[in-house]
Amino acid sequence: MDSKWSRRTGSLLLLLVSNLLLCKSTASLPICPSGAVNCQVSLRDLFDRAVILSHHIHKLSSEMFNEFDKRYTQGRGFITKAINSCHTSSLSTPEDKEQAQQIHHEDLLNMVLRVLPSWNDPLYHLVTEVRGMQEAPDAILSKAIEIEEQNRRLLEGMEKIVGQVHPGIKENEIYSVWSGLPSLQMADEDARLFAFYNLLHCLRRDSHKIDNYLKLLKCRIIYDSNC
Amino acid sequence: MMVSLHEQQSESLIHSLEQEKGVNMKENVASMIVFLLLLFLNIRLLKGQSPPGKPFIFKCRSPEKETFTCWWRPGADGGLPTNYTLTYHKEGETITHECPDYKTGGPNSCYFSKKHTSIWTIYIITVNATNQMGSSVSDPRYVDVTYIVEPDPPVNLTLEVKHPEDRKPYLWVKWLPPTLVDVRSGWLTLQYEIRLKPEKAAEWETHFAGQQTQFKILSLYPGQKYLVQVRCKPDHGFWSVWSPESSIQIPNDFTMKDITVWIFVAVLSTIICLIMVWAVALKGYSMVTCIFPPVPGPKIKGFDTHLLEKGKSEELLSAFGCQDFPPTADCEDLLVEFLEVDDSEDQQLMPAHSKEHSGPGMKPTDLDPDNDSGRGSCDSPSLLSEKCEEPQANPSTFHTPEVIEQPEKPKANVTHTWDPQTISLVGKMPYLSVNGSKSSTWPLLQPGQHNTNSPYHNIADMCKLATSLDKIDKDALQSSKTTEAAGEEKATKQREVESSHSKAEQDTGWLLPKEKPPFISPKPLDYVEIHKVNKDGALSLLLKQKENGDQTGKAGTPETSKEYAKVSRVMDNNILVLVQDPGAQNVALFEESTKEAPPSPSQNQAEKDLSSFSTAPSDCRLQQGGLDYLDPACFMHSLH
Repeated sequence: MDSKWSRRTGSLLLLLVSNLLLCKSTASLPICPSGAVNCQVSLRDLFDRAVILSHHIHKLSSEMFNEFDKRYTQGRGFITKAINSCHTSSLSTPEDKEQAQQIHHEDLLNMVLRVLPSWNDPLYHLVTEVRGMQEAPDAILSKAIEIEEQNRRLLEGMEKIVGQVHPGIKENEIYSVWSGLPSLQMADEDARLFAFYNLLHCLRRDSHKIDNYLKLLKCRIIYDSNC
Repeated sequence: MMVSLHEQQSESLIHSLEQEKGVNMKENVASMIVFLLLLFLNIRLLKGQSPPGKPFIFKCRSPEKETFTCWWRPGADGGLPTNYTLTYHKEGETITHECPDYKTGGPNSCYFSKKHTSIWTIYIITVNATNQMGSSVSDPRYVDVTYIVEPDPPVNLTLEVKHPEDRKPYLWVKWLPPTLVDVRSGWLTLQYEIRLKPEKAAEWETHFAGQQTQFKILSLYPGQKYLVQVRCKPDHGFWSVWSPESSIQIPNDFTMKDITVWIFVAVLSTIICLIMVWAVALKGYSMVTCIFPPVPGPKIKGFDTHLLEKGKSEELLSAFGCQDFPPTADCEDLLVEFLEVDDSEDQQLMPAHSKEHSGPGMKPTDLDPDNDSGRGSCDSPSLLSEKCEEPQANPSTFHTPEVIEQPEKPKANVTHTWDPQTISLVGKMPYLSVNGSKSSTWPLLQPGQHNTNSPYHNIADMCKLATSLDKIDKDALQSSKTTEAAGEEKATKQREVESSHSKAEQDTGWLLPKEKPPFISPKPLDYVEIHKVNKDGALSLLLKQKENGDQTGKAGTPETSKEYAKVSRVMDNNILVLVQDPGAQNVALFEESTKEAPPSPSQNQAEKDLSSFSTAPSDCRLQQGGLDYLDPACFMHSLH
């Protein structure tokens, strides 16, 4: 019994020591609150990953929009109608660099966390509707599917980041409701095409916004505005 | 009345005149007007003035995503000074603004400063062209600053050739991001690309540099002048133009260190190659044999390569004795035949042989003058002739082909239809017995088999085996040589056996002849005499002559009778257990046997054999001319 107990304590000590060493090796930034329990994955890695995701999402959105426009709505002047028609325009987001730099990073994160979930529903329906389109274009469909998936991942990542940067924050429930589904399913071909055009146009813009905000936050938080 | 008529006529005339006048006047006025108008128009056309044509906004660009500029192309002038105004309104606003800055961007441009720039907003911009004659409006252009970012090229491009220690020299290219772009805050993320070429080359060599502002280039031609350019691209925008060229002269000693290393490597490798060649030359053969061990020749019983070369397949096959395939005969069966006693007519042959071959190479002192033992282990008539002939030609080596050649030699007295193949077989026999482990391979002679058909060579084979057993003991071998009494031929035969045995030792395996051995015409043989028992248990057998009255005084074996001494089996210690052929007349043998010990049939025959065998040499030994031999008859009694 004695030897068994001593063996257990020895292994426990070993485990503790190894844990301490491992904990020390992970780069813990000042932003990581001392009281946080799950400060394991470094914030730098989280931000790097988030930026990669957001960059990729915007690249896909841009390509998808260009392909759609070239194929279906070229020269139709849909842009004239797609003015001020994004469902997320009600969310007050900074409009230029000065505004973005004046906002505290907490608020900026909150904004990201408002815009991102606003797109869960539209992306889901976009995939469904593009699938049901006549001569469903593979390029557009595949991009839509991927964007939807990456968007979900990005949201998870952002929640983790917020959990590390502001652990005590309240769960953010504000997001914009999208009500464009009936337009996507309209019988009128023109109207339907315009609905798609509008949706893709707004997606391109919002993905760029999120990408920009995250890069700003990353440089500010991780590199202390010295990227 | 008349007057009234005149008056009426005159009144009407005047009236009509007046009417005419009115009309003329109107016409005149109209024509005047028309004339004037035409005149006026003519003047105008002669001057060339028109309202302006429609302008066209052809480019809008933002260098840092904080400001932007739009340029338009004017339409037709109309001949009059035209005034251009740019107006815009933003998405979500109703107020129309005018261009804040027409100057900064150059002629026909509008520069939107930071104050007037909003990102993620669509601008609807139009240009008005106005002149005296009129005005025209361009098509509206929808601009979102987010998607029109095209930065300036990077600045401060520097080139430097670096020579670090212990490493290859390289060209170090450095630059700075364009001045206006804010990379530090992360508002824009830039990626760079450089390209270079020798001054006179036609094509550029492009390298992607990622987000770093420096680059190392290793593969450069020494002594050339290189031109380098760099450009950048924002994360979601357009490539900038290439920066102005920078040039640098690569020094001639750019890759000197490389060459020395290669020279050293080349010298070392040549030295190694020379060493290897020398080693191979010196020990080439042993190495080759180590890698490719020599393939042993076929050692098939009865196989004669010479016949094969000749192409006589029939003879070859008959040598094998391949009456049926697969061969069914046991080794034991073969050896049974070999040990059958035969009274041959070659008895006279032996002395003649012995006399003839007593000369060179042999030790005559040990020759057995005994006529009986004139025939040694190789004393089969046919076999002996051949075997004895061989050593003359090549005593040191044993070759089957030689044996074949030998038959032509004199000694035609010996009639033999000895098949050359059997000699090789005989040569093989010793191999069997020498290996102590193979003592059990000594086949058991079974009585009643192949009695009549006794190949003469069988006994010779046994004899050969016996001689090979002696090989371990050199002295014994020598004496055995001599006791063969055939003299030289025997000795040489033994030597052949030795050599053949030595050769056999090299064989990976002794192919136990399952086939029937080549048969010769069976010659009746004499009974086997156990010449000597070696300390190693080797048995040397002698073919006893019929006319051995001297030797077998005791034995009194009837010469006429055929006695069969067959080996029943071999004990562990290479002890040969002999069995008397029940069919033979052994009266004399019985007589002899009584001398030894009373027969004890009840005893285990094996024990008897053993005891008899062990004791036999002492008891049955008959001194004859310094030679000892064992009369099988000595212990015949013990086997009953």
